[in-house]
Amino acid sequence: MRLIYLAVLVLLIAPVMAGSGDDDGETTSREFSLRVDEGVKIGEYRVELINVVSVMDGLIEVKVWKRVSEFEDWRVMEDHRDSNFDEGADRGGLTLTVVEIFDDDTIRMRAEYRDDYGYPRKYTTERGLAPKNLPELIVEKKFDRTDISVNDEVKVTVTVKNVGNDTARNVLIFETPPLSQFRYLAGYPPKIKSQLAPKESDFAVYSMVAVTEGEVLVPALVVSYADAKGNIASVSSSSFTINIKPKRKPNLDLIVEPVPPIEHGGTGVINVTVLNNGEASAYRVEIKGETTPADGGIEVTKGSLGKTYFEIAPGASENYSATVKGSRSGNYTATIKANYQSDEVIMQKEVSFEIIVLERPYKYLYFVLVLPVLLVAFWIFRRYKEYKY
Amino acid sequence: MLNVLIIGVGQCGNRILDAINKEAFGGSTRLSKYYSRQKFPSRVETLAINTAVNDLKELRFTSANDRFHVPNLHGVGANRTVGKQGFWNNQDMIMDEIEKRGDFDIAFVITSASGGTGSSFSPLLIHELKNQYKNISVIGIMVLPFREEGSIYLQNAAFSMRDMMEVETDGLILVDNQYLKRASGDIATAYDNINNMVAQRILFLIEALDNEMLSVTDLGDFKTVMRGGMGMGTIGFYQADKKTPSLASAIDNSLKPSNLLYPSNVYEEAARAMIIIQGSKKYLDVDVITTVVEKLSSNIGHVFKGIVVKKGLPKVLSVFTLEQAPELEQMYALAAQAIQEEKNRKNRSKKQLDDAFAYIEDLEEIY
Ligand SMILES: Nc1nc2c(ncn2[C@@H]2O[C@H](COP(=O)(O)OP(=O)(O)OP(=O)(O)O)[C@@H](O)[C@H]2O)c(=O)[nH]1
Ligand SMILES: [Mg+2]
Repeated sequence: MRLIYLAVLVLLIAPVMAGSGDDDGETTSREFSLRVDEGVKIGEYRVELINVVSVMDGLIEVKVWKRVSEFEDWRVMEDHRDSNFDEGADRGGLTLTVVEIFDDDTIRMRAEYRDDYGYPRKYTTERGLAPKNLPELIVEKKFDRTDISVNDEVKVTVTVKNVGNDTARNVLIFETPPLSQFRYLAGYPPKIKSQLAPKESDFAVYSMVAVTEGEVLVPALVVSYADAKGNIASVSSSSFTINIKPKRKPNLDLIVEPVPPIEHGGTGVINVTVLNNGEASAYRVEIKGETTPADGGIEVTKGSLGKTYFEIAPGASENYSATVKGSRSGNYTATIKANYQSDEVIMQKEVSFEIIVLERPYKYLYFVLVLPVLLVAFWIFRRYKEYKY
Repeated sequence: MLNVLIIGVGQCGNRILDAINKEAFGGSTRLSKYYSRQKFPSRVETLAINTAVNDLKELRFTSANDRFHVPNLHGVGANRTVGKQGFWNNQDMIMDEIEKRGDFDIAFVITSASGGTGSSFSPLLIHELKNQYKNISVIGIMVLPFREEGSIYLQNAAFSMRDMMEVETDGLILVDNQYLKRASGDIATAYDNINNMVAQRILFLIEALDNEMLSVTDLGDFKTVMRGGMGMGTIGFYQADKKTPSLASAIDNSLKPSNLLYPSNVYEEAARAMIIIQGSKKYLDVDVITTVVEKLSSNIGHVFKGIVVKKGLPKVLSVFTLEQAPELEQMYALAAQAIQEEKNRKNRSKKQLDDAFAYIEDLEEIY
């Protein structure tokens, strides 16, 4: 940018120099443009455009000062009129003239000064470097959950923060029209304060319920505001897509620890765990159990194979156990059935497992085998002795 | 019930006794003694006596208690003089061993006629038995040698039989190895076959004597038969087979020389006889029996008959004593000849030795 200015300067200045070359050979004049908060260095002098006071009236405000000296001059200049600073160009000072005022930011100026001060060189003033006092808003639109299923309630938080250093005025939220995929409950459309001081923030919350499944593009939220001068700006949050999953369902798992074989006449414990590994509560859980063949060879002596629960929350599990007694050996099959509801829909789960009742152990049966063998062995040995000569 | 004592003396006697014990077990297998019980028809005590312990060890079916070794002897080497001395030296011990077994109505003493131990012990033993048990009947069962077994055996047989007759046995039953060996090939099987035959007959006989059924023979009848003729006889036996279960032919067969333990012609040489018939009732036609027995008794002297009703095909045992025994005479002739030859051989040897010694008669050893 500066290079371009420099080039323009050189082009404009060249003819002027030629014209004033003979004039007592001591002063020169050059033209340059200036913007508010810009300055030029001419020798030890500094010329800074403070403000365009009025384009219509052709008035500007400049500050001229000299390095390493007491000289400093604030002045409002009228265009097309020469103004002498530090006694003017003839006395080693400056003579400045506003050539043209382009707008309330940029002017064109001519300076006359001693030849040996060199070319005017541009710089940005300290004031120009200092931050501007403007409001700046940032907007955020956020869902309180990312995992959304049909029937889920979502809270949308809209946050607006002024990160600028001036008050934002006329703050207005433009939220998109209601999305068809949601049913809006409360707080819509969101509203926030109309003025936000620097660092101040405000937020609005509204809630809605997902109605249909599928992908939804959540459009950006636009906020418009005005600065002190009435300039209007706007920002928007980023848009994003969410996926609405199908309705959440409960899913009951019936887990039965394997029942070790039951000794004849002995008992075994059946431990049943009802786990809801679905995403919704299961209601009115009714569990029933039975064993087959129902020949009375196995019976529940403590607890029950069935149970009811009003609700089992997702992720939760319930436990119960029943003690069975096996009075006839055989292989039995136990079946446990659970009926439960969710949103008036009745669901069912079933699990079957085997219970083995062992044969009656004949504890001293081996005697029946061993005894005759012993007797025979004894008999044979006796006979052997009897006939051994 | 009869009290029967069976004594086997010497190797031959021991082995026949063992065959009897085996037969009492039901016979067939070597292992029968491990699972079976002896089924003697009466109270039977057995005793094997020998001077050679190895002969006793060889036995299989005679219990260890029933084997008596005459101490300090290792056989007598067919020498009857040594044998007799051995008996006298150990007489008390032997008789004690028998006495332990109680009282007896009848005793069988089984021996070979030709060995050393059996042939020398048996007559002395029988003598002692008759002394000790007043009412006992003692029957000797003597096994005659193969004729080719040698001169000493022949000589022993001749003398031992004479000894046997002198001690007044109640009878001698002859078993002739020479005559019976024809059936079998090698000696070992011949012995086994002969021993089994004897065992079967003796047990059958005891059973018949001790039977309480109608029309049976008893010990008295048996003694009468055995005292007949020369006081020695033999036993015949026949078991009808399914093809010809005829009773008449069974009886006939039991008298045929081929079914006797000692060769003889019953119809010509027998003095008294006893026929014991056993079998299922349907085979036992009394008329047939009577006819056959009458035919026999018209040829020889008295014939006792016994009928034992027992399930099975007809079995006939015949016991008889002989009036004449040409075979025996022949054997004695052979024996005499053998003794003479033995004597000559000895003399010849003696003379030869004397002749040899004559060379050094007047000489002395010089060193
Ligand atoms: N039938 C039959 N005869 C046999 C048997 N063993 C040996 N003999 C016969 O018996 C005679 C020999 O008599 P042994 O009984 O062996 O002699 P021993 O009485 O033991 O007398 P020593 O051996 O001399 O002390 C021979 O004629 C053999 O043929 C046998 O198991 N059965
Ligand atoms: Mg011997």
